[in-house]
Amino acid sequence: MIVLDPNGEKLNLMPLNVGPSHPATHGCLRFLAAMDGETIVASVEEIGYLHRGFEKMVERGTWQQVLPYTDRLNYCSAIMNNIAYVRAVETMFGVEIPERCKVLRVIVNELSRINDHFVCIAAAFQDLGGTTPFMYAFNPREEIMCIWEKLTGARLTNSYARIGGLYRDSYDGFEQDVLAALDSTEKALKDLHACLDRNRIFLDRTVGIGKISAERAISYGWTGPCLRASGVASDLRKDEPYYDYETYDWEVVVGTQGDCNDRLQVRMAEIEESVKIVRQALKRLAPGPVDIVDPRIRVPAHKLAYQDMEGLIGRFKSVYEGIRVPEGEFYCGSECANGELGFTIVSDGSGHPYRIKVRPPCLTQFAAFHELVEGGMLADSMAVLSGLNIIAGELDR
Amino acid sequence: MNTVEDIFSVLEEKFGAKRDTQDKWGVAAIVSAAYLHNAALFLKESAAIKFEMLVDIAGIDYLTYPNHEGPRFAVSYAFKSMSVPGARIRLKVLVGEADLKVPTISDLFANANWYEREVFDQFGIVFTGHPDLRRLLNHVEFVGHPLRKDYPAQKRQWLSTNDYLLPALEKRLEDLGYRVVQRSKEVGTNDNEYLEGSIKE
Amino acid sequence: MTAEADKPNIITASLDFLVNWGRTNSLWPFPYGTACCAIEFMSTEVGRYDLSRIGSEYVRFTPRQSDVLLVAGTITYKQAPILKRIYEQMAEPRWVIAMGACACSGGFYDCYCTVPGIDHIIPVDVYIGGCPSRPEAFFDAMFDLQKKIKDESYMKQRAERVKDQLEMIKAKTAEAKAAAKDFAREKVVDIKDFMTSKEQELVKKAQFWKE
Repeated sequence: MIVLDPNGEKLNLMPLNVGPSHPATHGCLRFLAAMDGETIVASVEEIGYLHRGFEKMVERGTWQQVLPYTDRLNYCSAIMNNIAYVRAVETMFGVEIPERCKVLRVIVNELSRINDHFVCIAAAFQDLGGTTPFMYAFNPREEIMCIWEKLTGARLTNSYARIGGLYRDSYDGFEQDVLAALDSTEKALKDLHACLDRNRIFLDRTVGIGKISAERAISYGWTGPCLRASGVASDLRKDEPYYDYETYDWEVVVGTQGDCNDRLQVRMAEIEESVKIVRQALKRLAPGPVDIVDPRIRVPAHKLAYQDMEGLIGRFKSVYEGIRVPEGEFYCGSECANGELGFTIVSDGSGHPYRIKVRPPCLTQFAAFHELVEGGMLADSMAVLSGLNIIAGELDR
Repeated sequence: MNTVEDIFSVLEEKFGAKRDTQDKWGVAAIVSAAYLHNAALFLKESAAIKFEMLVDIAGIDYLTYPNHEGPRFAVSYAFKSMSVPGARIRLKVLVGEADLKVPTISDLFANANWYEREVFDQFGIVFTGHPDLRRLLNHVEFVGHPLRKDYPAQKRQWLSTNDYLLPALEKRLEDLGYRVVQRSKEVGTNDNEYLEGSIKE
Repeated sequence: MTAEADKPNIITASLDFLVNWGRTNSLWPFPYGTACCAIEFMSTEVGRYDLSRIGSEYVRFTPRQSDVLLVAGTITYKQAPILKRIYEQMAEPRWVIAMGACACSGGFYDCYCTVPGIDHIIPVDVYIGGCPSRPEAFFDAMFDLQKKIKDESYMKQRAERVKDQLEMIKAKTAEAKAAAKDFAREKVVDIKDFMTSKEQELVKKAQFWKE
């Protein structure tokens, strides 16, 4: 297309379509860029290629049946989404979960965060042409996956949390496994830093690329590591503490430039903080119950259902009719790997959710994508995209 | 020290906001559509606690809600304060079926653009003054608004050919100060491709 | 020619073996990964499971260089035309693996926006269950695909592929022969006419000189 630029000069631009099936678009993102040579003049994004109807599907099941759907929002850290959802529902119930459950949730939350950040870093370096960090990052991830298998029975989509507790208590030897995984995480981090910190190619391709100011990022509603890379120390685990996050000794990692390199470095540093939290949480892990005892919220154990009439009825009612969440509307956000994952919940007091709206952290980040890439080179847009860590399942629901 | 409750009382005074009794866990205010833009501007810029971030916009359809009286739709805005961590407030606008119009706040918050497009896509609520009100999640040939309660969940709609973004790109170029002299020819779908490469049930 | 190619003999059988050996051990996948299954595919690629053991470590992101279309994840109606286009762009021989419940049947997304199984759009060779499929299941599918490829006959496929061409050539030859015949017949008739006219002329001349 031929255009006149603001100075009145004639330019011949080429529209170039990238995605949805492109190695760097991680599934189903798409943008159309107007190219002047190798420079992106303007860009528009299109999403919805993985719109799976989360919000319509959850209206058909009971409150507990929402859990498997939340797994598939951000499938890199499934347990975190579970916990964000059950935390919203538990807040509506106004119940306090047992101490052991809290600590276990913190441990699995932080392990999921490590998992998610490793996928982001691995994919980013893969997109920039480095295969070695990809392999380094996936090794500890596989170890955590093994823990998931032992703990929940699944590798990726775990559905571990339950409203009012957890699917089950940890297994024997859980602590040792977690410690071993943390050790290999630290080793992998060391390797990654050795690979990347002084890597000329990597630095040239990420430093100063895709910059965004803190004001603009806030206006776009950015949260999580991407906002913190712009220098805003905003973390829901500190701002609105839940599960005693404020009592652990850890720091909110903040970047300075708000560029692509900062976003990746913040993620690497957050892995370190998560490792710290998990180590402290493991020390607090004391024996005790993981479920609350209330048949109206948490399904009674199998053992009770076989021996006790009340347990049987409680189980039957809970499974077939669903639990009855108090009537009302509520927004609850939790700090997930990519930022604030929020649920706007409308309950009509029956066993089925009336409406659940997900507030995905990725949507706001991808909405700003054109501002990050315009004026840069086409190859830089790939670095920006992988630094943002857009997860399509969460973006499109 | 101001609290969110104080902000709410100012909203009540200035913009005629009513307390949303449905939200028993946080602070939510029902404002009329006419006052929405001003209320959002007040929250963003001149309130004692500034709510700089728009967190979420959610559409709600009350068609099958038990004992519901009043307009059928609602649009709920969630705000978050960056300067006072942990302060949150929600605004709610009730929208009747006869007049599905809400003023846009995309000039105040950059992310409202996509959120409003999503609500338009899923519920058919029109945001007046929105720069680019298109469908966001569903495809261009989709008919109806899927998250309304009267849309059957399994009513499927095939897309025959890929949607294209060239008009949006031209609009973006014009926003940046460029002027399109000659449109590119290659990108438009030709009839042959449309018929042969298409998917039809 | 077609009939000859159908019959296996020592040359075609060894050629089949050679071609199949090559194809089974260098299946280059095109990961059309959209959702969760793509993450499991990434796990399959790296150290612990190591897809390069069966010669598939070369992930090609262009349909023109790949043999296996690996559809990993949910396909929505918005994406269906793109998937079809990519399948059409792939060169023969091509195989399709539907990885995960969503690609096989739509999974538990029984909804207004998801395609209930990619076999509504493109043919599928191997289905893998699971939500998402485990890497072991993915390997199993690759082995199944390898078995399937080993049973294929390159010469037969080739014969089938060139069948139309052969028939066309035959028809054209017959047409040309008929045309040539007609032409020859016309020539003969012409010559005969010429001869008779010459004869008549000669007879006339002879009669003239007689007179």
